[in-house]
Amino acid sequence: MWIPIQINENSAEPLYHQIETQLRSLIVSGQIEEGTLLPSIREFAGSLNCSVITVRRVYQDLENEGLLRTRQGTGTFVASVGAGERDEYRRTVVQEAVEVAVDTGISVQYGEEELKQLFLQILNKKYKGTDGKGASQ
Amino acid sequence: MNGIMEQKMAIEFNGALKRGTRKPIGPINLQIPQGYVVALVGPNGSGKSTMLNLMLQTIHPDAGEISWFGEKAKEALPLSIRQQIGYVPENPTREEHFMTAESAAKFRAHWYPTWDWERFEALMTRFEVPRGERLNRMSKGERRKFEIAAVLAAKPKLLLLDEPSSGLDPFAWKDMIDELRACLDGEDVTIVLSTHIVEEVKRLADYIVLVHHGQIVGMAEKDALFGSWKEVWIRGAQSDELKSIPGVLTCREDGPSITKLVVSDSLEFEEWCERERANVHIIKSRSLELEEILQLWIQGHQPGQSN
Repeated sequence: MWIPIQINENSAEPLYHQIETQLRSLIVSGQIEEGTLLPSIREFAGSLNCSVITVRRVYQDLENEGLLRTRQGTGTFVASVGAGERDEYRRTVVQEAVEVAVDTGISVQYGEEELKQLFLQILNKKYKGTDGKGASQ
Repeated sequence: MNGIMEQKMAIEFNGALKRGTRKPIGPINLQIPQGYVVALVGPNGSGKSTMLNLMLQTIHPDAGEISWFGEKAKEALPLSIRQQIGYVPENPTREEHFMTAESAAKFRAHWYPTWDWERFEALMTRFEVPRGERLNRMSKGERRKFEIAAVLAAKPKLLLLDEPSSGLDPFAWKDMIDELRACLDGEDVTIVLSTHIVEEVKRLADYIVLVHHGQIVGMAEKDALFGSWKEVWIRGAQSDELKSIPGVLTCREDGPSITKLVVSDSLEFEEWCERERANVHIIKSRSLELEEILQLWIQGHQPGQSN
C-alpha cells in the first residue's frame, strides 16, 4: 500500500523523525485503519528513498508506543488501538504541542495574560473562522 | 535482522592489505552487514574495484584477513560460498567475448545451483537484450544488461557490482534499480556496489563507505550522512564571530551582510541564534549534495550519528 508521507530534505528535522511523526498522525487520526498491513521495511524504504535502518527505527518506535504490531513472518500491522487509548494518545500529543508553545512564549518573555489572549484569539480564528480580534472572552 | 539479534556479517575485512604496483590498498577494516546495500564511493583510482576483487577473492590480500559469512578463507574460497556470490565486473571478461548471451548463461548456470532459467528469460526480455548475438557484438549497454540479468538469475546471496549502471540508458537504469530492489525484498540478500551515480546511492544504499587513496575514510548510514550537515544563509552577523560557534564547519560572506555557513546541527544552530543573537536571522537552509558531503568527509569532518 502507498502511504502519503512527504519528506522535506531541507528541513532541520531528522529524516526518521519526519517519517515517524507523519506515520503516527496517520495512524492516530485513523487515516490508516486498524489491522492495515504496512509495507515491508525494504519496500517502504524504497518508496521513500531512505535506508532500511531509518524505517526499522520508525517501526520499532511506533511498536514501542503500541501503535504498530509485528507478526513474525507476516509483517507489520496497525495495532488495534482502543478508543480510550486513542483519546489518551490524542490528549498527550496535543498537550505536548501546547507545552512547546507555552515554552516558546516564556522564552520570549510573554506574560501569562498576554499568552492567554493570544491563545484565545487563535482558537477563535481556527474554530470560528473569525480573526478573533476583540472577541477574546 | 532484529535489533536484539546479533548482526551477521556478509564480509569482514581485518587489516586486509594489498600492495599494488602504484600504491597500496589498505589496511582495510570493514564490516559489510548481511541484508543491507552498501555503496562504495570515492574518486577514480581510490581502490574501490580492488576492494571488490578482494571480496570476490580474484586477488588475495598480502596481509590481514577477510572472512565471508563468518568463515575465513586463507586459501581458495570454498565452492559453497563462491556459489553464493554474484559479480558484475567493471569491464566484461574476454573469455565470453565470442559466446552468445544464451551460451554464456548456460556456462554460468553450471556454477550456480540456484540458477533460475525462468528468471533469466524474464530479465532478458525486460531488458531487451538481443538474442543469439555474440556478446562482443553487443553495445556496451546491451552487454551490461546481459550481465545484470545473468547475475540476478543466479540468485546470489551477495552481489558485488562494480559501477553496474555504466553504459545503461535511463530506462534500463530504472529497470535495473527496480530489479535490484525486488531481489532485496524478503530475501536476505546483501549488495555491495561501487558507483559514481548520486541517484543510485540515494535510491539503493543503506550504508555509504567512502574510499580515498586506498583507505576507508569511514562508513555511515545513508540518512544520517545526508542529515549531517546543512548549509544556512544568515543575515546580520559578523563572520569572525561565527567561526567560534561550535558546529560551524565553514563560513564565508555571500553578498552584503549575508553569510553562508555549513553547520553540523542546524536545529542547535537555530536555537543558538534565537538565544544568543537576536539580530541574526536565518534566511534559508538547504541539505548538502552528496559530492559536497563527501568532500567535507574527506577533509576530515566526521558525519553525525544522530540521524
